[in-house]
Amino acid sequence: MVVAFALLAAWELVTAAGVVAFRRPIYNALSLVANMLGLAILFLILNAQFLFAAQIIVYAGAVMVLFVFIIALLNPGLDLTLRRGSTEWIYGIVFGVVFAGLFGALLYNRGLSGRTGADTPEAISAIGSVQSIGVALYTKFLFPVEVTSILLLVAAVGAVYLAMRKAE
Amino acid sequence: MSIPAYSFLLLSGAIFTLGAVGFLIRRNPLVVFMCIELMLNAVNLAFAAMSRYLNSLDGVVFAFLVITVAAAEVVVGIAIIVQVYRAGREMDVDELDLMKN
Amino acid sequence: MLLAPLAGFLINALVGRNLPRRIVGWIGAGSIGLAFIFALAILTQVVGGHHLDQSYFTWWSSGQFFVPFNLYVDPLSTLMILVITGVGFLIHVYSIGYMAEDPGFGRFFAYMNLFVFSMLLLVLSGNLVWLIVGWAGVGLCSYLLIGFWYDRPAAVLAARKAFVMNVIGDVGLVFAAFLVFLNLNVLDYNAIFSRVHSLPKGGTIITAICLLLLVGAVAKSAQLPLHTWLPDAMEGPTPVSALIHAATMVTAGVYLVARMHILYDWAPVAAATVAVIGGVTALYAATIGTVQVDIKRVLAYSTMSQIGYMFLAVGIGAYAAGMFHFMTHAFFKALLFMAAGNVIHAFHDDQDIRHMGRLRAGLPVTFWTFLIGTLSISGFPLLAGFFSKDEIIRAALSVSGGEFILGLVALVTAGLTAFYMFRLFIIAFGWEWMADDPRHLHEAIPIQTIPIVILAAGASLGGYVPVANFLAPVFGHGVDIGTGAFLGLAALTLLAAAIGFAVAYLLYARRPELAAVWRARLGPVHTLVERKYYVDELYDRVFVRPGFALGRFFSHVLEPRVIDGAVDGVASFFLLESREWRLIQTGRVRSYGLWTLGGAIGIVVIVAAYLGYLPFRLG
Repeated sequence: MVVAFALLAAWELVTAAGVVAFRRPIYNALSLVANMLGLAILFLILNAQFLFAAQIIVYAGAVMVLFVFIIALLNPGLDLTLRRGSTEWIYGIVFGVVFAGLFGALLYNRGLSGRTGADTPEAISAIGSVQSIGVALYTKFLFPVEVTSILLLVAAVGAVYLAMRKAE
Repeated sequence: MSIPAYSFLLLSGAIFTLGAVGFLIRRNPLVVFMCIELMLNAVNLAFAAMSRYLNSLDGVVFAFLVITVAAAEVVVGIAIIVQVYRAGREMDVDELDLMKN
Repeated sequence: MLLAPLAGFLINALVGRNLPRRIVGWIGAGSIGLAFIFALAILTQVVGGHHLDQSYFTWWSSGQFFVPFNLYVDPLSTLMILVITGVGFLIHVYSIGYMAEDPGFGRFFAYMNLFVFSMLLLVLSGNLVWLIVGWAGVGLCSYLLIGFWYDRPAAVLAARKAFVMNVIGDVGLVFAAFLVFLNLNVLDYNAIFSRVHSLPKGGTIITAICLLLLVGAVAKSAQLPLHTWLPDAMEGPTPVSALIHAATMVTAGVYLVARMHILYDWAPVAAATVAVIGGVTALYAATIGTVQVDIKRVLAYSTMSQIGYMFLAVGIGAYAAGMFHFMTHAFFKALLFMAAGNVIHAFHDDQDIRHMGRLRAGLPVTFWTFLIGTLSISGFPLLAGFFSKDEIIRAALSVSGGEFILGLVALVTAGLTAFYMFRLFIIAFGWEWMADDPRHLHEAIPIQTIPIVILAAGASLGGYVPVANFLAPVFGHGVDIGTGAFLGLAALTLLAAAIGFAVAYLLYARRPELAAVWRARLGPVHTLVERKYYVDELYDRVFVRPGFALGRFFSHVLEPRVIDGAVDGVASFFLLESREWRLIQTGRVRSYGLWTLGGAIGIVVIVAAYLGYLPFRLG
């Protein structure tokens, strides 16, 4: 199990770097897809089965497809270089260092104990199974679900409206 | 689960950092968007991990909602970007400063 | 019972324009009639000894300030409501005829109903708050009705004057309520009455309260010094004068003092002030009444004078006598006004009595009823006015101390009353028993005469109503002085009245030339009185003109420079500030992202520091 995790962790980091680093947007998108798939497997390790499925279906399956479509459509194969004539990459370095330092400090100083949860099969399967999540969504989290659905509606309407406008 | 919790969190943090850096650095709006998605994903990972280790459903549910909202956001964001493209402007976040002041 | 006139008002106000004349009038009058029937029912209950102090709902409750909507029914308020609804009903019926040709017919009845409603509310209220509400309501209606013919500038000015003076009184009343609440923590009657004795007798607080209440009463009842609005209020239609300015609203002040008698008993200085004001006003008004030439003005000053009597009575503690006089006065004054209204109509709105005379043939009913009213008010034996006025004079003279002087004042005023009333009668109606009349004046229609006749009966017989006994549960029994003294005093009063009558008869009926001679001799005095002692002019100088000047100052100097300047200053401050902050909005995603991430880092750092994850701690 640890091995699996280590491999996946490496995969994640590499693909993430890929998202950031590639010059051609299409490569970026594909890296992101790979990243998401890795993430889905990680969810599976964590026994969040519903999330695993949702990630693949919604995120990797729909959102990323949209991304790839748009990239293909807009054809920005004309490469835009990473950073050009601007000093903003300094920000990147700075933030990167800061973040890294932050996380490191957080973890090393107090050290989140490697606390493991309940290991019984029942407990494990209780969290993250589709059934339990379904129940939760319709009872405890009913309100957020409703609100989110309205949000989706709004987004859909907005997108349609934007698409219908004449280009200025 | 013999994998300690902090390793998940560490991983999540690392991905998030990469996403943040990418967000600040890149110029193509689409790529910037993708970095945002990356950050969201990282956070989802953290949620799922804590949900597992604290025996609570809340994290997973929240992650699910995050996915939903991210989907909606992507839709609208892409629509805007497409409009920008159609208007013939440069696909460069530094140039798109119409909302200035 | 309250709801009937309220309903009448609402109906007439909202749909009155669409209904035919007759219905509107009868709704207006009918609602009051209905109220009268209820009042009779209440009477039967109260006579049997039932009182009522009932809360209907809690209107306002915050902290210690607790105000329910409660009604208080006892002999005093029952007497008031009987008079208000009974006489009011008759006046309403009269108005159906009187206002028949007026385009504002519906509006008139709407206002009148609203007035009755407010007055009833005032009288029936069980706590100070609703009293004030009713008080303000009648003030409002007075304004509306005085200025009913709003295209007449004189009327509008009069209405405004009335309202302003009224408001001054309202301020006094409200401040009194404040003081009561501050010191006694309650506002409803029962509680107030039981707690009053906790204040020092005759002390500053209780005296202040009573004096402030007096301010309100003086304004509403047109006593000195807040009296100048009443004569001008005659610009309104005659039924208005009859109802509001003779029988009911102006007596609200008397009611107030009577209702608060427990407080006044406890503050002798204030009570004495009441009596003095009453007496002085009575005399003052009577003198002015002797030289007026407008029929309604004479009656107005007469009202002022008679109310002065009532104030005198309640001031010296003869509450029952004061209320008795209120009742009889309502009868004969309303009667007098309405009869005068008939006369005015007959002369096509001319109110100058010098143009009148010799009315016996043309308006017989009016003639005789007016005569009865005049006799009653002068204190003719066995008519109502005799009894009630006598009570007051008797009470005044029989009490020891300074009140004796007031008693003398009352006597003199009685004589003057007889004098000016008969003067009015003789000049306006004519003493000659002429059967013929070249001017072809016609009597008013029955709907206007029947109510007057009814009131005449009341003016005659009202004296026999045992009002004092009826009010005993509220005021206690009066002082008994024995028959001998009683007869002696009655004789004195009679004498005064007889003298007044004789002089009037002499001057105006037999030898009119003498009147002219006397006028010349008393030249300057006559002018002084005719000008109402120049009070109006005084007020104008002292209050009105400075008021206008102040208003001008505010609008031309203060407003543009100071207030607008401050407002603009604030606005420009914000403008400058925002100009700088706007620079954050660069419009670029990247800088936004920077800010966001920076903020996020900040939050994480702070939280972590609190939780102890960092080398340094914060919380």
